[in-house]
Amino acid sequence: MAAHQPIAPPVLSTPETHLFSDPTPLAIPTKESRLSNDEIRETYEIERTAREIIQGAWRRVALQFPDEMLVDAPRVFEGLASELENLSQEGGEEGNRSTRRRLYILADTSYGCCCVDEIAAEHVDAEVVVHYGRACLSPTARLPVLYVFTSRKLDADDAASGFEESFDSKEEKVIMMADLTYQSHVKPLVERLRKSGWKNVRETAVIHDPVAEIPNRKIVWEEGEEGKEPLQEWRIWHISDPPPALLLTLSSRIKELLIYPTTASTSPSKPGPKNQIIRSNTTAVLRRRYALLTRLTTVPIIGILINTLSVANYLSSTGTLQAMISRAGKKSYTFVVGKVNAAKMANFSEVGAWVVLGCWESSLLEGDFYAPVVTPFELELALQKDGERVWSGEWRGDFESVLWTGGTSDVVGNGGEKKEVDDGSLIGEKQQQDDEDNDESEEESQPPEFDLRTGRYVSHSRPMFSSSTSASTTTTTPSSSDPPTSKVLARRAKGDLATVNGAVSPGAEFLRSQRTWTGLGSDFNDEGDGDGDSAGRIEEGRGGIARGYTVGGEGVRR
Amino acid sequence: MVNFTIEEVRALMDKPTNVRNMSVIAHVDHGKSTLTDSLLSKAGIISSAKAGEARATDTRADEQERGITIKSTAISLYGNLPSEDDIKDIVGQKTDGRDFLINLIDSPGHVDFSSEVTAALRVTDGALVVVDTIEGVCVQTETVLRQALGERIKPVVIINKVDRALLELQVSKEDLYQSFSRTIESVNVVISTYFDKSLGDVQVYPYKGTVAFGSGLHGWAFTIRQFAERYAKKFGVDRNKMMERLWGDNYFNPHTKKWTNKGTHEGKELERAFNQFILDPIFRIFNAVMNFKKDEIPTLLEKLSIKLAADDKDKEGKQLLKVIMKSFLPAADALLEMMILHLPSPVTAQRYRAETLYEGPPDDEACIGIRDCDPKAPLMLYVSKMVPTSDKGRFYAFGRVFAGTVRSGLKVRIQGPNYTPGKKDDLFIKAIQRTVLMMGGKVDPIDDVPAGNILGLVGIDQFLLKSGTLTTSDTAHNLKVMKFSVSPVVQRSVEVKNAQDLPKLVEGLKRLSKSDPCVLTFISESGEHVVAGAGELHLEICLKDLEEDHAGVPLRISDPVVAYRETVTAKSSITALSKSPNKHNRIYMIAEPMDEELAKEIEAGKIGPRDDIKARARIMADDFGWDVTDARKIWCFGPDTNGANLLIDQTKAVQYLNEIKDSVVSGFQWASREGPVAEEPMRSCRFNIMDVTLHADAIHRGGGQIIPTTRRVLLAATLLAEPGLLEPVFLVEIQVPESAMGGVYGVLTRRRGHVFNEEQRPGTPLFTIKAYLPVMESFGFNADLRSHTSGQAFPQSVFDHWQLLPGGSPLDATSKVGQIVQEMRKRKGIKVEVPGVENYYDKL
Repeated sequence: MAAHQPIAPPVLSTPETHLFSDPTPLAIPTKESRLSNDEIRETYEIERTAREIIQGAWRRVALQFPDEMLVDAPRVFEGLASELENLSQEGGEEGNRSTRRRLYILADTSYGCCCVDEIAAEHVDAEVVVHYGRACLSPTARLPVLYVFTSRKLDADDAASGFEESFDSKEEKVIMMADLTYQSHVKPLVERLRKSGWKNVRETAVIHDPVAEIPNRKIVWEEGEEGKEPLQEWRIWHISDPPPALLLTLSSRIKELLIYPTTASTSPSKPGPKNQIIRSNTTAVLRRRYALLTRLTTVPIIGILINTLSVANYLSSTGTLQAMISRAGKKSYTFVVGKVNAAKMANFSEVGAWVVLGCWESSLLEGDFYAPVVTPFELELALQKDGERVWSGEWRGDFESVLWTGGTSDVVGNGGEKKEVDDGSLIGEKQQQDDEDNDESEEESQPPEFDLRTGRYVSHSRPMFSSSTSASTTTTTPSSSDPPTSKVLARRAKGDLATVNGAVSPGAEFLRSQRTWTGLGSDFNDEGDGDGDSAGRIEEGRGGIARGYTVGGEGVRR
Repeated sequence: MVNFTIEEVRALMDKPTNVRNMSVIAHVDHGKSTLTDSLLSKAGIISSAKAGEARATDTRADEQERGITIKSTAISLYGNLPSEDDIKDIVGQKTDGRDFLINLIDSPGHVDFSSEVTAALRVTDGALVVVDTIEGVCVQTETVLRQALGERIKPVVIINKVDRALLELQVSKEDLYQSFSRTIESVNVVISTYFDKSLGDVQVYPYKGTVAFGSGLHGWAFTIRQFAERYAKKFGVDRNKMMERLWGDNYFNPHTKKWTNKGTHEGKELERAFNQFILDPIFRIFNAVMNFKKDEIPTLLEKLSIKLAADDKDKEGKQLLKVIMKSFLPAADALLEMMILHLPSPVTAQRYRAETLYEGPPDDEACIGIRDCDPKAPLMLYVSKMVPTSDKGRFYAFGRVFAGTVRSGLKVRIQGPNYTPGKKDDLFIKAIQRTVLMMGGKVDPIDDVPAGNILGLVGIDQFLLKSGTLTTSDTAHNLKVMKFSVSPVVQRSVEVKNAQDLPKLVEGLKRLSKSDPCVLTFISESGEHVVAGAGELHLEICLKDLEEDHAGVPLRISDPVVAYRETVTAKSSITALSKSPNKHNRIYMIAEPMDEELAKEIEAGKIGPRDDIKARARIMADDFGWDVTDARKIWCFGPDTNGANLLIDQTKAVQYLNEIKDSVVSGFQWASREGPVAEEPMRSCRFNIMDVTLHADAIHRGGGQIIPTTRRVLLAATLLAEPGLLEPVFLVEIQVPESAMGGVYGVLTRRRGHVFNEEQRPGTPLFTIKAYLPVMESFGFNADLRSHTSGQAFPQSVFDHWQLLPGGSPLDATSKVGQIVQEMRKRKGIKVEVPGVENYYDKL
């Protein structure tokens, strides 16, 4: 694109050069992008993968790479293919066509690259997915998965000295943890530190359990220690930057999190600047999350955004979320948009807030979104009554926990009725009965909601509430709420809104009341009082051919 | 014992001509509550002995402790005129019998609580303005008087604390007269400044009986009319004529036995009639009693036909003085007489107030009902504030019936401040559970209340946050929303010490927000619970209430912080351009500063998004020099659709522009709510859309493409236009003796204060200093001032305007402003550095 200052007059149409430019920035090719064949074999653990594929007797294998590793994909493919060939010959398998193993590279993952893209794998009828790179290790629903974490190098000396600098006393209780790509360095590092006198250093092992106390990790306790030590007393020393979801999850569970960043000097050969230990401080982030979720209390329409199709239980979780939202008297719509970005979501301006159903890492979306985007855990909090919500700093990213507690937690449901009873006690039962006796055409409204964000009252924050509570009393309302039993096409009056169980659809209501532009011609109405902008009357103009026009149909030639 | 029953009150309500709704307003410490006591003692609500000390309308414990009123308190009283003759003096309005119902509201005087005054004024028709004899008209006297006149409320004046002038200052009669007339003169100056044709001339004159003099503490007061009545018989002249003679340059020449308006007779000074006939007896009593001239007292008493109870005769000094003066000139009589005779009844007042009260057309049934104060018209009721009940968490809705009759069980439409006719927003339907009469700290149930009266309602508190309109008419518009003279510019954030208490805090914040007309509670973008108030004292009281009462849990309270605004100080250096995420749409924008006057008008609600476009364009063209076409093409106000930032369409012939208007407006609201510098709201910026390039397919120019782009281009335009921070500034008025003025100046200078007015109060050693003081520097100002003037200076601060924070650009991290910005960003938990323009500006 031309990089000059905007001095030229603006062009009134989009030039063709813009048509195919991709808005998302390209992934930066990794540092020493050309790895040697040996390095490829090592990093991508080709031997182990091939062995496991043979063991599992899988014929069709999908290889899933994150975007930044796609450059290596063909070579991994080749390496793996030849390795498989060798192994199967060694194993004495017959190389006939029907049993030949087929490998597929999956690119362009639809959601986060940390999740296994089962849907794409199913397109090629894969029997197993090999997932490369860092993963969220969420349980999958359909396919077995082989994880290859593509281990990266770490300067052990620097890391050890970094560790020793981080703490004052060798008695300090520390758990060492690493990003999946550095996991292989944890064990040697811990052993090395123990030798130099750090008694209370514990290592972690990878497990496939995102809801564990430390997501996806198990602490290797000393004998007899397990369960005795409250995690609150331990610090975690983390190699490489943890994803934000992990930071938030851990912040309330442990004493402190120290991060050993690996960006500055990844290879031991380069004498880069020394890595500075970062002490994470999540209170500000957590407070911002709290502010975000309180915005949900007054939002009438919540969008459920599916950000994964491969995590087990996502279907039932969607159902739980929908039930939770409707119990709170709000309306939910479900969206699948592929990779999430602000522009896609701003297209649905009627949706006041979003809840993301994804794996525990990808549920936490931060950025300049037009409407707040929260996790299922946060939604559950937000839907609680103001009088019950407790924000202790605890945070979790997975939706399984919500699925389990969702049924029992007291989401605002029958709040309205409870309040009515409160009122009744003020005036005595008699008055209440009087009210019911002379039930007039208009029912009493639900009280408005106090918007914690602005300090004002917001009406109609629970649009679906009236329908659920009044459904029993107003059974005789005509046509609009009739169950759709008749198969005859009903003609809708102009400007009539779609109704859901007798209540006007909040989405349609939003579009009707909040949009000023309602179609062609609507923009003339408000200016149409004769000062030049209004559409004039159609008058007959000139007609005929160039030799001589007629004016006004009178045959006068000019 | 209370000398009237609810039944009597109810009967009087049906005669709106005999109702007087009035509020007592004044500067802080001028004696409103004390004076109100004398009325309450007359009504038998408190004992006569306690009057003047009980301050019965200060119902809260902290009000009694601090000796200031915090909440306005309403009370209904029964009053009557002594004789049929007096009824004739009620000019310009009808009256039915000698019995009157007086609905009185005692209001706080401290500026920080002046929102309470606004709420009180809305529901009353008359105001008793209390002025201290010695201090005269102060800043708050002026403010509340201005507010009253703005609401078309008729004032009467009482000059209070006359006893102090006599006892402490030992002034002469003529000096006292001069002091009185100066005070009245300055009141009249204020009144004539805000002259309103529909209200007529409401200046106050002693000889018309609209000014009283007295002492709330001692329980006495008089009007000239009372004395005129005494002397009218003696001189055998008409009472009204006598009244005129007893004020001003009128003298009784004892030599010629004739009235004259010359001050001298044959070279000898004559004594002014006011001094001779009114002040003289008072001075003599004071003199006799305070100098213990026991023998003189009985003769004096006999002369003035004052009878004392047996045990009162034994008293001495001030006690005796109090008893004598109270029986000589009972304050309640003078006040009641003044209020009944000169304040308008609802019938009279609503005739001229209807058009200013009602938002809708002047000829619909609701407005006609208000104008006629018709109890049979559709209900129109304005709830002006919420009063906490003994039942925790519930409130009485306190308001006034302007038309129709309200009764228990009546189903009403509750219209919140954002209600627009025909829409469903902020509209609720609910039955009123009970109606009650507000009697100070107590309530009395009442079945129904007709137009023209003040009452409390039970059962609708959940529907209204602070104020609103109740009606039974489907077509009624709102009664005008109140505009407060103070704004919540001082903020403190609160957090619970124990996370489990959070729900209680949230509930407490809701209640706090309801219980005070001005306080604002919200959760900031950074997740803090913020309480914002008008000043330090206001905030202190609110937080105390929150901690002890509304939430009832231990709290951690942050230091006070100031709410800033972001603005621009120049026109954007280049046209800002942003492209949509798909690169198919481009928006070109320029930001420029807006006229400060215009921003103020918008904030005052005089120019707003709901105005007629053409009328608004005319005003903006005439008063602010705008181009008429620009003024007609204002797309929106922001933030919150009514803030003081404008988005103007200056494009020419752009296709599909109307289609993206909603998206652009959304983006504008977003950007103006959170500016680029520190995510503070913007103020006083004007944005011009210069050009827009759009993709031809609707799907490629949807909200998703336009909303974020608009926000980015607005932020880019702001960053290109030399952004600045605006800080709120208090107007401080300080009363201080000359000797302590040096200290005041010292403190002000150290705190970036700027004195713009200094004048001596005539006849006193007191000076009044007016200065501008940044709110940021005002924390601890009062204490500082006290210590530097040995407690002699008394400041009153009220938010006045916004000013540009001096000291460099907010984008420069090394400047003072830049550091404030960084600190603010750190507190909010966002990236410390201000993002550069390149984040928002796209190259073509």
